[in-house]
Amino acid sequence: MNSDLIIHSVKSLFTRKTRSFLTVLSILIGIMAIFTLISFGLGLSKYVTEISTEMGVDKLVIQPKSFGGISIPEKQMSQDDVDFIANVKGVRDVTGLMIQSAKIQPDEDTKPKYLFLMGFTTEKEEKEIFLELMTVDLYSGRMLKKGDKLKVILGYNYQLPNKIFEKSIRLGEKILVNDVQVEVVGFFESVGNPQDDSNIYMTYEGVEELLGEEQGYEWIMARVEPGEDPKALSEKVFEKLRKFKDQEKGKEDFFVQTFQEQIEMFTNIMRVLNAVLVMIALVSVFVSGINIMNTMYTSVLERTKDIGIMKAIGAKNSDILIIFVAEAGVLGLIGGIAGILVGYGISSLAGFAVAQAGYSFLKPAFPLVLIIGSLLFATITGAGAGMAPAIQASKQEAAESLRYE
Amino acid sequence: MLSDYIVMALRSLGRRKLRSWLTMIGIFIGIAAVVSLISLGEGLSNVIESQFDIIGADVLTITATGNNYGPPGTGVTDPLTTSQLEAIERVKGVEFTVGRIIETGTVEFNNRVDISIIASLPEGERGEHMIDLLNFEVDRGRLLNPGERNKVMVGDNFADSDKFGKPVQSGSRVYIEDQQFEVVGVLKKKGSFVVDNTIIMNDDQMREIFEVDREDLDAIAAQVKKGVSISKTKEDIERVLRKERDVKLGQEDFGVETAQAALSTINSTLFAVKLFVYLIAAISLIVGGIGITNTMYTSVLERTKDIGIMKAIGAKNRTIFTLFFIESGFLGAVGGIIGIVLGVSLAKGLAFVGQATLGSGLINADVSIGLVVGSLFFSFIVGTISGLVPALKAAKLNPVDALRS
Repeated sequence: MNSDLIIHSVKSLFTRKTRSFLTVLSILIGIMAIFTLISFGLGLSKYVTEISTEMGVDKLVIQPKSFGGISIPEKQMSQDDVDFIANVKGVRDVTGLMIQSAKIQPDEDTKPKYLFLMGFTTEKEEKEIFLELMTVDLYSGRMLKKGDKLKVILGYNYQLPNKIFEKSIRLGEKILVNDVQVEVVGFFESVGNPQDDSNIYMTYEGVEELLGEEQGYEWIMARVEPGEDPKALSEKVFEKLRKFKDQEKGKEDFFVQTFQEQIEMFTNIMRVLNAVLVMIALVSVFVSGINIMNTMYTSVLERTKDIGIMKAIGAKNSDILIIFVAEAGVLGLIGGIAGILVGYGISSLAGFAVAQAGYSFLKPAFPLVLIIGSLLFATITGAGAGMAPAIQASKQEAAESLRYE
Repeated sequence: MLSDYIVMALRSLGRRKLRSWLTMIGIFIGIAAVVSLISLGEGLSNVIESQFDIIGADVLTITATGNNYGPPGTGVTDPLTTSQLEAIERVKGVEFTVGRIIETGTVEFNNRVDISIIASLPEGERGEHMIDLLNFEVDRGRLLNPGERNKVMVGDNFADSDKFGKPVQSGSRVYIEDQQFEVVGVLKKKGSFVVDNTIIMNDDQMREIFEVDREDLDAIAAQVKKGVSISKTKEDIERVLRKERDVKLGQEDFGVETAQAALSTINSTLFAVKLFVYLIAAISLIVGGIGITNTMYTSVLERTKDIGIMKAIGAKNRTIFTLFFIESGFLGAVGGIIGIVLGVSLAKGLAFVGQATLGSGLINADVSIGLVVGSLFFSFIVGTISGLVPALKAAKLNPVDALRS
């Protein structure tokens, strides 16, 4: 019975090739647009889950309050703060990160760029927190070790020509940081965004050698003991540090977040933007639904006589209804399949282009749910749009329909 | 003659009312989406542009190059100095200069602490010039006089109760970096995130509080004399600064820009985002266009016999073509008119709701005549292009075959 219906609907679609093709094309375009956009949205969510569960699930971040990301130098966190947090029960390891702006040149004759200089620890456990939270790994060369002062590890992009500087920088070369010669001992892997891939990294001692003693920390990162709830601990650390720093409630000059909260804050804007774009693209699916409805009304009109004959030989109203709804559903399904194929191609190409531009964290994802969901959505849109014409067809009087010319 | 065509087109559209309506719905949904998004997008651009209107086109802003992270002049390794300011003032073509320092600091009010931007008001005549340049006006209270100690004026956002739980008013006492200040006035809203969140303080006192060197400056504004070339003056200033700061051509560690130049960078980013959104909205228009093509094909098919008769009694190919062409153009244009009306009301409605719920001036609908005329024209074009192939098909029908069908 069901296969009969499908064969019947495919056959009648073929008899009106141009019209069916155009209708399928319109749903194809709509499905393609939402498929592409959602695949990027899902890719972003996947990225967030990956880094927040694999690297960030057991971590807290303590930062000075700031205005639009700019903190006050005197309000940066101090070594005393780090030591205090290390002693809070439930905290396993703590490390501070210095973030400073630095003047960087490959050599004296090149126009300088002002980029971020990060200072990090050389202690083993603490260094691990830093590497996990920054999601960086050594790409080539060696890690910084105790006693390294005028040695630097560069972000991935420094190796590429015409990216940060015209010429690429190689291992062992000397570059100028704030007019001081430092040796490049390593490169980090790509983080996936141009800002972080342009950072340079030195030891605390190195940063202090360049910028003076007693540099504060822009970030303190802490690892939670296994089994501790990071959220509860973040509140505890906040409260204890407030008392330690002798600040009144509400007058704190710092804040504590779990890493998960922090990464969500950063990606929320992109998710909202993605959701808005999907909504806008949904409009085109709606319009394609209207096209299906139109095609089906025409189809019902053209086959008025057929409907009369079918009814005369005993077809029930529900049979007629199902025939036309199935036809509309098949239109949607075919459009959906084609839309997914084209959408897959576009997403992959766009993902490649975006990665070339340095934003490799924006990668499309194609889980099975998305594919099945898009197919279902296309079919339901088709069948739904075909509902009104099908009802009209099913309600036609057999005698009247037979008389129709 | 043309009116005959139009009457005929209208009649044949009227004969298939349902189909014509569904086809037009496809177009007007697309047009409504594009029109509402464009008017909201233009509204956003206007708000952003108005932030830059604060400073005139004939004012050059000079900053030392930093990492563009935060307010002008921050993250700089080699700041501008007062002697450089004087050198700029000696440049022929410069009317006067204003040098400022800009810092971030803690502000306490109503037992709450927040981080804010604090900018200096220079002493004497330069202070007067700055008030003129930035076109400062007060809503409540009075303007700060150059040289006045222990007094500040604050940006409009301080008058919001969300910032400190209750609004800062003229006469309020605030603590800036733990020193008490009296607020003499609240500045009129500028619509700029930075200016509206800034506190303006006497230059002398600010240097004491933030321990800024007497010589250092974060930004210099230079008013170009009336009738003097701005680009020529810009070059002169660059030359003077190269000498003062001892840097070679092409290696400048400072920038001289008009506000318009800074605006163009922001505009190009915004333009890319807007273009992307419009393109996605335009997809639904393409789908709507496919709907027109489909309807016209069906129409040609249904009227094959009519076309045969018309040709038999002497209608030329061109006549048939024009007939169908007008019909599809009409579908597009009427769909466009309804779409514009809907789109404009949607945009105005969204802007109204957005402003009421978010209180943000960023959501604004700007409906220009160009947009209305443009989208009307565009929808007509979409209609005619979509109808082109079916109309050609109709025109080329062989009269004998057509009559026989």
